[in-house]
Amino acid sequence: MPPGALPMLILRVLQSSELHGYAIAQRIHVLSSEVLAVEEGLLYPTLQKMLLKGWVTADWGTSETNRKVRFYRLTPTGRAQLKAEIAGYDRATQAIQDILRTA
Amino acid sequence: MGELWRRISYLFNRRRLDDELESDMAFHREMTAAAGRYNFGNTLRMREQSREAWGWTWLDRLMQDLHYGVRILARSPGFTIMAVTILGIGIGVNIAAFSFFNMVALKPIPVRDAESIVRLERRSLDSYTSEMAYPSFAFYRDNARSLSAAMAVLGVPPMQIDDDLQPTSVSFVTPNFFTELGTPAAYGRLFTPSLDNSPAAQPSVILSYEVWQHRFSGDPSIIGRTIRISKRPATVIGILPYDFASLGGRGPDIWMPMAQQPYFIQGSKVLTDWRDSSVRMWGRLAPGLTAKVAEQELRGLTHQLQKQHPEAVWDENEFLQISPGSHLQVMQPRMYEVAGMVGVLTLLILAVSCANLGGLMLARAVAREREMSIRIAIGASRARILRQLFTESLMLASLGSAAGLAFGYVVMRVLLSFPNTPRWLSAMPDWRVLLFAAVLTFLAATFFGLAPALQIARQRQHKTIVRQFLVAAQVAASCVLLIVAALLVRATQHVIYTDPGFGYEQLLSIDPQLGKHGYSPETARAYLQHMQTRLHSVPGITSVSLVKLPPMGHIVSNSNTEINGHNVTLYPNWVEPGFFSTMGIPMKTGRTFIPGEKHAVVVSESFARQQWPGQNPLGKQIGEGDTKDTVIGVAGDAHINALNDDDAAEQYWPAKADDMPGMVVIARAAGEPGSFTPAVKSISESLDPKALPEIRQIKLLYRENVSQLEMIATAVSAIGIVAVAMAGFGLIGLVAFTVSQRTKEIAIRIALGANPVAVLSAVLRQFSWPVILGLVIGTTAAALGSRLLRVVLYGVSNLDPIGYACALVVLSAIVAVAGLLPAHRALRLDIARTLHYD
Repeated sequence: MPPGALPMLILRVLQSSELHGYAIAQRIHVLSSEVLAVEEGLLYPTLQKMLLKGWVTADWGTSETNRKVRFYRLTPTGRAQLKAEIAGYDRATQAIQDILRTA
Repeated sequence: MGELWRRISYLFNRRRLDDELESDMAFHREMTAAAGRYNFGNTLRMREQSREAWGWTWLDRLMQDLHYGVRILARSPGFTIMAVTILGIGIGVNIAAFSFFNMVALKPIPVRDAESIVRLERRSLDSYTSEMAYPSFAFYRDNARSLSAAMAVLGVPPMQIDDDLQPTSVSFVTPNFFTELGTPAAYGRLFTPSLDNSPAAQPSVILSYEVWQHRFSGDPSIIGRTIRISKRPATVIGILPYDFASLGGRGPDIWMPMAQQPYFIQGSKVLTDWRDSSVRMWGRLAPGLTAKVAEQELRGLTHQLQKQHPEAVWDENEFLQISPGSHLQVMQPRMYEVAGMVGVLTLLILAVSCANLGGLMLARAVAREREMSIRIAIGASRARILRQLFTESLMLASLGSAAGLAFGYVVMRVLLSFPNTPRWLSAMPDWRVLLFAAVLTFLAATFFGLAPALQIARQRQHKTIVRQFLVAAQVAASCVLLIVAALLVRATQHVIYTDPGFGYEQLLSIDPQLGKHGYSPETARAYLQHMQTRLHSVPGITSVSLVKLPPMGHIVSNSNTEINGHNVTLYPNWVEPGFFSTMGIPMKTGRTFIPGEKHAVVVSESFARQQWPGQNPLGKQIGEGDTKDTVIGVAGDAHINALNDDDAAEQYWPAKADDMPGMVVIARAAGEPGSFTPAVKSISESLDPKALPEIRQIKLLYRENVSQLEMIATAVSAIGIVAVAMAGFGLIGLVAFTVSQRTKEIAIRIALGANPVAVLSAVLRQFSWPVILGLVIGTTAAALGSRLLRVVLYGVSNLDPIGYACALVVLSAIVAVAGLLPAHRALRLDIARTLHYD
């Protein structure tokens, strides 16, 4: 996974619904056709940074296994951030592809 | 809610947030386990990494280190107390010295807008005076736009309240003095320009709080009452507050308005005489202006002044020097030199104590070897251990600083308990002292803690090089201190045991200040003539004469020149023929003046020796151009105005008629000179009741001078002894430690029949070259640095061999004892027990 992509992916999977930490990792794993595996040691530091930046908030809820767990939810700032990151990412990939095609 | 704000709120909710994080991660584990995958990562480590995002890890580590440090220090109280004591001395001496400097030169005095107050002093290329003529002051005040206000103070000899026997100190001030300083009156009112600026106003005085308390028993009804100041009636209009802060140190006890000076001192022309430099000038810089700008403007004014009144200005190079005026002392460059010197000496003490403590830390490092290897083994990084050790050092240094602050406070309390210290001064450390203490704490911790910490972190506790460096540093620093102390003691001895060259015991100087009372040369001559005749008739007064610059007087005049490669400070004086016999200065060759003689000069012995080595000085000429004077006599060396200065050389000229208003009467008395004061007073009273002379006993002035020197020498010696004692104990500790490390080796050597001397030298060898190196470095540094000491080392060369020898012998003896004492114990080991052990 390219560096810096994880926050964008997390923001993206949280866009449709609020999820707990494990579900975030699972969703990314499944949606990437099991190509991307998000390790615990990377996921939680990233989530902490995103909480601090105010892109997501966490609230207590109940998991499918009936356990008390925190669900992460996008904030308006997070939504704006996701838009900006996607735009930036698109521009960068477009540029890279341009080079790959023409050079 | 901004990110920073959130970060701060994280700091306070760390516990809850950590629990939440833990719960999240535990859930994650459960789910992965349920999915059949196992994660073997270190959960604690991962949680720590996540928490790092909050940005408070450093704080956690610091708390951990502090916590651990407290435990370590508490576990060995002996070491901690020892270390804090050593540091307390080293830091305390520095804090005490800095507190004093701060009080004198840095702390602004508590007056209104202190920062803009400046002192203005006349200066030229080779002339300098802190006083100027009152008309010059008025000229600058009226014309300078860069000064928003100008204040002048005229100090005069003490005067008499009513019929008191003891005179009281007085000053005349411009009426804006107290309003500019923003001083409130304790009772009554203080001077104001609108009421007290006229000679016609009712004569009024203001009393200091002390004189009001002691002389008038604090009676508030004194306000409005009339008292007599040296016979002139005046109304008391106000009392100054208890903690009044004056400009330029402690103020006098009686304050009077400048405009009424001619009323109180009859016949005085101070306010109109352009030649009489007698008032001290202060000013307030106009808002937004710097001292540089003001100095430029005033330079222009001095040029104008020179055109209008050439007699008021020395030469075209004269200017008014502006220095900050709002401190206790207006610092002169020479004072900064002395302060720097003291600073170096006190820092040397700190160096000794740090090196000393460094040695202790090294010894402890060996004792903590196990602890460190365990910590490294379970994964502590070198940086982490260094940080831990440095935190410990900082804790020790902070404790030492606290002890040092207490020490400094005590020293300041003692200093402030001296009489005549202004009441507003406080011994409490202010922010400057605290900042200084903080900087010292950090420096000390770095100096004594870094080398041992590096050794420990690199697991090199047994290396001797750092230990040797510390020994060399201690020996060198205490060597410098001891040599300086020895030189000062020698200089003091020189002053105390050297004959000052004149019989000071029986002398009285009587200064009628005729010039300040408007006497002309003729009337002054008559007055002095009468005074001398009347004194002669007093039984017990054996000899009377006149001199312009009396011994240890208020005015000293000198100039520096070089004669045949020698630095010489020339002290000119103007005397009557009988001066030498009255003073008890022997004539070596030639004769004294004949009354009325002109173009003749008497020189001192050392001047003659340096100017004309090996020749007969009689008949030689002095002076330039056509006013050459012939040497008619050589007097013994008598440094009457430079007691401690061996470079001084005197030249005496016959007093001219013009000198008369400034002449001082010198009288030699048989018996206690103090007992003649009433007789002298009644004579002067009958001659002219307005001119109350200042009568001083030369003996007392001389003793005061010597006791000051003694005090300095004692203080420096005490500091030197403390440093040497510390170095001695430090060495004892290090040698004992080395011996304890090598107990087994020593025991085996002795068991195998080694010669005790050989064993001893094997133990001590590692210390011999650092000691020698320290001695060499210390002696060299002292020899080079002590050139700065020339200003206080009168009569003793800064390379005085006896001083150096004494210092080096004492130091070597202490070092030898410190080395041999613990090493000697090594030879009395219980060999069997030592070898059986482990």
